[in-house]
Formats: sequence, C-alpha cells, structure tokens
Amino acid sequence: MVKKNLIFVGLLVFTFFISAPASAQAVRGVTDTEILIGQWGPQTGPAAPWGAVARGTDLLVKIINEEGGIHGRKLKYFLRDDSYMPAKTKAIAKEFVEQIGVFAVVGGVGVATGMTARDYLMENKVPWFSPVTGVYEWIHPIQKHLFAMYPLYDDEAFNLTGYLYEKLGFKKIAMFYQNDDYGKQGVMGVERYLLKHKIKLVEKVSAEVTDRDLSTHALKLKNSGAEAVIMWTMPTHAALILAETAKIGFKPQWATSNTLSDSALMMGITRGLWTGMINSNFAELPDSNHPLMVKYREAHKKFAPQERWGVFYYAGMAFAEPFVEGVRRAGRNLTTESWVKAMETMKDFQGIGLPVTYAGLKDRQGGKHVFYGKVKPDGNIERLTEWIKITK
Amino acid sequence: MDIKRNYYEDIELFKSNTILVWSILFLIFLAILPWLVMKYHLLGLSVYIVNLITVHAIVAVGLNILVGFTGQISMGHAGFFAIGAFTTVIFVLNVGLPFYLALPLGGFISSIFGFLLGLPALRLKGPYLAIATLGFGMAVTTTIKHLEFFGGRMGLQAPKLYLFGTPMKDIHFYYMIMIIAVIMVIGAVKLIKTRVGRAFIAIRDSDIAAEAMGVNLTYYKTLAFAVSAFYTGVAGGLYAFILGFINPESFHLIMSITFLAMVVVGGLGSIMGSIAGATLMTYLDIKLQAIQDISLIGPALVTFSQKYMSVAGISNIAVIVYGLIMILIVLFEPLGIFGFWIRTKRYWKTWPF
Repeated sequence: MVKKNLIFVGLLVFTFFISAPASAQAVRGVTDTEILIGQWGPQTGPAAPWGAVARGTDLLVKIINEEGGIHGRKLKYFLRDDSYMPAKTKAIAKEFVEQIGVFAVVGGVGVATGMTARDYLMENKVPWFSPVTGVYEWIHPIQKHLFAMYPLYDDEAFNLTGYLYEKLGFKKIAMFYQNDDYGKQGVMGVERYLLKHKIKLVEKVSAEVTDRDLSTHALKLKNSGAEAVIMWTMPTHAALILAETAKIGFKPQWATSNTLSDSALMMGITRGLWTGMINSNFAELPDSNHPLMVKYREAHKKFAPQERWGVFYYAGMAFAEPFVEGVRRAGRNLTTESWVKAMETMKDFQGIGLPVTYAGLKDRQGGKHVFYGKVKPDGNIERLTEWIKITK
Repeated sequence: MDIKRNYYEDIELFKSNTILVWSILFLIFLAILPWLVMKYHLLGLSVYIVNLITVHAIVAVGLNILVGFTGQISMGHAGFFAIGAFTTVIFVLNVGLPFYLALPLGGFISSIFGFLLGLPALRLKGPYLAIATLGFGMAVTTTIKHLEFFGGRMGLQAPKLYLFGTPMKDIHFYYMIMIIAVIMVIGAVKLIKTRVGRAFIAIRDSDIAAEAMGVNLTYYKTLAFAVSAFYTGVAGGLYAFILGFINPESFHLIMSITFLAMVVVGGLGSIMGSIAGATLMTYLDIKLQAIQDISLIGPALVTFSQKYMSVAGISNIAVIVYGLIMILIVLFEPLGIFGFWIRTKRYWKTWPF
C-alpha cells in the first residue's frame, strides 16, 4: 500500500517538472534571430467570418520572412482562436505575455474581447497595434503602448452622411441600424452631421439583432420617402432589409460602413441586390493595381491558396503593415521604447490600407481616412474618391 | 467498515482518516499550485486559467445541486451567472460597497431570481423545464442589453480591487477565489449529506414518492433553484472581476450549455465530479489549440485541417477533439469522470486482484 502511494506521489512530482521554465531575455519577444508577435481572432463561433483578419496577418509574416526578415530577425507569429469569448481572449493575452513572451500583439477583432485584455497588456507594457474595430475605447484614455488604426465608426458615419448630402445631393436621408453599440455609433455620427446642417433624418429605423422579419421596417423606410438610406448593421440584416425593400419596390440609394465592404460576400448573400451600394473602404480594392496589392496577391497564390482573397483577409495585412514599418524604423536595436518612438514619429505611412499618422502621446488614432466606392453589378467596387480625411 | 451507527456519523465530512489526510494533502497542493504554475507553467497553465477553472467549478457544483441531486434541468445558468456578475460590479461601482459585501449580495440577488424561476419548475418537467430555463437565460441577457444602467450592450468595466493599497493580481485573486471555492464546496457536500440534500435526492428519484413521505415539494424545489443560483451568482461576481470587463453578449446560450456539459461530463450527482468536469472542459476549451505548437504533429494537423476541412486551421481539429472527448466520456462512462474515479479507486484497492 505504501509503495503504491509512493508511486502515485512520484508521478505527481514528475508531472510538475516536465514543462521547461521560460528563458530570460533582454527584451521580451526579441531574440537575435526572431521577433515574436501574437494575435487572437475568432476562428470558430458566431464571429468566425472575421477570423480571416488574423490569418491575413500570417500571410504578411510569411512574405516578410521570405524576404529575409527585418534587420536580420524573422517574425514568428502566434495565432490563437478566442471564439469571440472574452474569457478566452484574456487567457490568450496572458499566454502571449507570460508563456510565449511576445514582443507585441497585432490586430485582434472584437471590442468586448479586446477590452478584457487591454488593461492587462498596458500594465505589462506590451505594445498593441491596431485592434480591428473603430471604437473610442482604444484611444480614451490614451495608452502609451496602444496604437489604434481602424477608422472610427462615429467619424466614418459623419463623413459618409456628408458625402451623400453635399457631393451626391441627397437631401432626404433615412437610417436603418442595428440596435446595439455598433449601430448606435453609426447613428451618433449621422445625427451629428445632420445637426450641424440643421436638418433631420426623415426616418430612423432600428432592428434588434434577433429580428428576422423586417417587413415593417422596410415599409417605414418606404413611407418616409427617403432618397438615400444609410445602414449600420451586420451582414444578415443588410441582406434581409434589401430583400424586403426590393419586394415592395423601394429602391433608394443605399450606403453603408466599411464593415460591410466585402462586396463579393455581400453580393452573394443578397443575390445581387448589393449592386449600387455606396460604402467606405479602409484598404485598397481586391482587384487594385497598387504594386503592393499585386505583390500580395501573388504571395496569396503561393502561400495560402485555400483562402478567399476578400477584404477582411488582406485587412490582416493592412492593419499589420504599420507595425512592421515601426519595427523596421526602430532598427536592429529593437526595444519596446524604440518601437514606440518610431511609431510616434510615423507620418502618412501607407501600405495597402489607409494612411497612418501618429503625433507623440497626444494622438493614438493613426487611421483617419477612408475612400468611397460604389458596387458594380459584377460585385467589384468602382472607386469614387481618393482617400478622404474623416477624423480631425 | 461502512456501517453507520448514527446520523452524525453519516454526515461527517471526512469518513476516514485516509480521506482526511488526502484532503489535507490536496489543500496543500492547492496552496502551492499558483507557485508551481508560475514557475513551471505546468501543463501550459497560467494562474488566470486556474482562476477561471475554479470559478467554473463553483458554477458546476451549484448546477449539480440542481441537476444532479434534485433532478431539475436548467439551460439558463448563464443568466444567473450574468446576474451575479452585473449586480456585483454595480454594487461596487455605483453603490460603492466593498467587494466582500457586494459578492454575497450579488449571489443573493441571483438566488432571488433562482427562487422565481423555481416557481414554474413546480409544474414543468424535463424538456418543458429545459425550454423555460433556456428562455430565462436569454431574457436576462436581452434585458441587461437594453438597460443603460447595466452599461447597455457595451458592457461594464469592473473596477480594480485593492489589497492593502496595491492592485490585486491574479495570484491574489487565486487565493481569494480558492478560499471561497473551498468553503462553497464544503458547504455543498454538507448540504447534500444533511436533511435538505436528502430531500433533494428524494425529489430527484421520485417527486410523488417524496411528497408522500412529507417532503414539501414547493419549498425544496424552489430552494434547490435558489441555492444553485446563489452558487452561480457568486461565481459570476468573481468572474466579472477576474475578467475586468463584462458585456451581456458573452453570457450566451452556449455558455449555459457548456455549464450543463461540465456537470454531465464530470458526473451527475457528484460534487467532486463537477469540479473535475469544470476543470477538464475549461482547460480543453482554452488549451486544446496548443497542439499546433507540438513539433511535427502540430503543423501536420494544421495542414490537414486547411486542406480537407476549412481555412480556420487548428480550430477545426480542436473543436472535433473537444466534442469527441465529451462523447467518449459520456458513452463509456455514464457517470462521467466521477465514474472513472470510482473504477480507479476500486482497482487500486483490490489490486492485484
């Protein structure tokens, strides 16, 4: 009996020692040959379609490493699936910092998920570049190690309304939005613009996320006599409202945010009704002739042919490029401090995404531009404008 | 050996000295666990994950009192979890109560809702009760979402907790949560062994027979709901503070089902089983994707998944393995992990026979 117990205890002790302790480094996540970076993203669960962003970053890492890395160091990329669950995101953030020891976190889809990790990362002085959502949480209060890039939803809605009202001459504008934080940020921006010009929305219709019958919503929009309707919703509701309004013969000019800028996808789920949609964009169009886009498309064929070349896939590259540029500018002597310094002086840097400018500790919202496009019947987007500044 | 001569002997916490010694050893293990985790990253754990596991264990124990011992199903425990989380944060944030008061209050409010949900349970059984509780869980999150008081859809940031003037870290949380968990688990064991627990078990086995024997169904069924909700509410309060940020979206239906799965995988009607179930399920849910870091096997699995399944990569494999483990456990051992434990113990005791 005693012997058996001893074996048992011995086994227990053994399991304690099988995992090796982490080695100490001068700068966390930076070795002579490697720079460790991490990103969480929903690969499964309700938000899985946005998971493409984190996989897109992987492609950028592969391209950079093939070219020999940065100052003799290759990037090592860790992608973790948080299933859009905040509890998991925080576990991943801790794993990144305490176990893997990453130099920085890049990207990361989701507000609630990122919010559980924000304070932890900041307390540990882990650089976090560009959470992939355009909310104020990332820049209020300003954090030294958190650099935001995604255009703010509020400003985007403000400017989109201006574009419809001033440039395209739509005077009767209605809004269809999802009754949640995301939709409300859209309404906020739209109404802020209209208030400035002392006009009102002709109609404001909201839908619950769980609503599946939008026929009354469509009727309200039709009866308002709106010439243009701005929608601030998720893909499902966008498809539902387009189907309903088409059924009752209401065909206004639709406009929407960059979260629905994946026109190929939207064209599919709306069965062609997406044609004519005006939307803002935060990155070059999929078929763009931009030299970097050409290069990335070739790399995509080579490294990740299984992926669809959609905007949210290469968004993972667009939202990581300035980070990489910062690492490049920081030089061989890469530390958190030198990276932050390099980022703070970044001015009008542009890859395939929107131009990025930071100014010291005052401004951590690097991305301030979008451009507008109109969806053609073949699902491609026709570019209407150059980059327009939306955030002052 | 196992003859009980009186009631008090039966409700004793430690049936024998062996159990007492092992329990003490286990407590010592729990006391040094964070040190082991921090120093050796035992099984890839971090103190935060251990905290999360412990919180889930409290929920599983609470849910097992309801499902495993009283035989009432609940698919809405994420609702109680949310109530506990939001009320605790509100009590600290808006009312200004200290955390040690807010936490039991959060649990208490959750238990009031448990009592209310227990009322329809008097008339509903099996699948009907499942639907009613499921509706409750969804109603809670929807209500919270629409009240600006609870931060609306955006959620609430839990204030930082301080211990002697310094902000609490994971390790401090660990000891706080673990002490609460140990107290609550002992409470559950005692509860089940005594009069109330026997009434619960009698209701589970046959509510008509129980009533015929003098068990007040109304009282005990609602009590089971209230107690279960209290456990879950307290766990919710702890959850809010280890996460630092809560929003209604994260307390979804899948969470309720995961809680239920923890109880079933761990073993219905076993306190230790619930703890084991919560540990296994939480651990696998978070750490299973780490198989991609194992040399050779990891990259091979990723390539396989990308080629034959979907672009999501290792997550495909992780989800399948996770599901498979659950199915296999329930298939081969209906008593769950607790069943394995009993068998191992029996094998151990009767070895070499």
